[in-house]
Amino acid sequence: MNCPIKTQENREWLLEYSAGRLDGERAAMVERHVEICPACARFVEGQRVVWNALGQWESPELSADFNRRLYQKIDQAQPSTWLGRFLQPLWRPMVPVAAMCLLIVAGVVLHTPTAGVSPVHPRVENVEPEQVERTLDDLQMLRELSLTPQETNASQPM
Amino acid sequence: MPQWVKEDMGATSLALDCDAELMLRVREGDGASFALLLEKYRVSVAHFLYRMVQDQPVAEELAQEVFLRVYKSRESYEPTAKFTTWLYRIATHLALNWLRDEKNERSQERLDEVAEDGPVREVADRAPTVEHQMVRQVKLEEVRKAVAALPDKQRAAVLMHKYEEMDYSQIAKVLSCSESAVKSLLFRAYETLRVRLAHMA
Repeated sequence: MNCPIKTQENREWLLEYSAGRLDGERAAMVERHVEICPACARFVEGQRVVWNALGQWESPELSADFNRRLYQKIDQAQPSTWLGRFLQPLWRPMVPVAAMCLLIVAGVVLHTPTAGVSPVHPRVENVEPEQVERTLDDLQMLRELSLTPQETNASQPM
Repeated sequence: MPQWVKEDMGATSLALDCDAELMLRVREGDGASFALLLEKYRVSVAHFLYRMVQDQPVAEELAQEVFLRVYKSRESYEPTAKFTTWLYRIATHLALNWLRDEKNERSQERLDEVAEDGPVREVADRAPTVEHQMVRQVKLEEVRKAVAALPDKQRAAVLMHKYEEMDYSQIAKVLSCSESAVKSLLFRAYETLRVRLAHMA
């Protein structure tokens, strides 16, 4: 094995060997080399010190309410309007389908042939003068019937 | 192909299947799968962030932001890479941004102090004084400081290598750089740490 420090070949093997992460065959190769190479031996020794020192560094535990706070943030991030909720992931794939259906319905309504259905147009009918006269008489009669006796007297000319 | 490489690849694809499958279920609206992923990775992500920013409340806030972003990005998630690569990419991005902002803030504070007080004062260390700590605490403090003194990317690479046991290719994907760049980052970082922590032998 060539010296990893001098040749820069497989330098990472030294790191992995120092960390105890190198597999058996390559670990044995590095071990044999380290026994005869003072530079690599120093490297491995120093690296093991670093590795052990880093290993003693523990992180504090997470707060007990970590998940609760996270889910609260997730809830706050959810859209609050009905439209926003409608556009949620479960519904979102259906939106294009709904839009397509709407377009089809609109197209059908707009392009349906209207033959056979008589259009309703306002028209002015001819009205006979006698008919008008009769209607006015009827109205007069109804008005008189709806009046009370006092009102009838009052309405009569003196 | 060497056996160790095959084993590594096998483990990677297995992990990809499991976590990516859970994430795909989250994409379909399955909250239980999100809870599983959260339970599986929240501690490691929070610890990684704590070692990056060295401030527990900030680390927790950032960890929450990581999982919030995972949840918000569920619809656009595509299992093109290992789930943990994606997860740590988000975490590293947030941590590096926070460190950058913190540095800017500190440098601004220093400028303000110069303007107000004249001579530059030393920035107060948040860590407790070493005089009142036990030997172990002193050593831990030295480790923390040594790691904190590393450039941000070197620090991220060391933390992923040491504590998350990521291989070089995965670290490269998280940091969006080449594998050889990661090796250089790690060698420079460990060299600095060997010098700073040599007395701990």
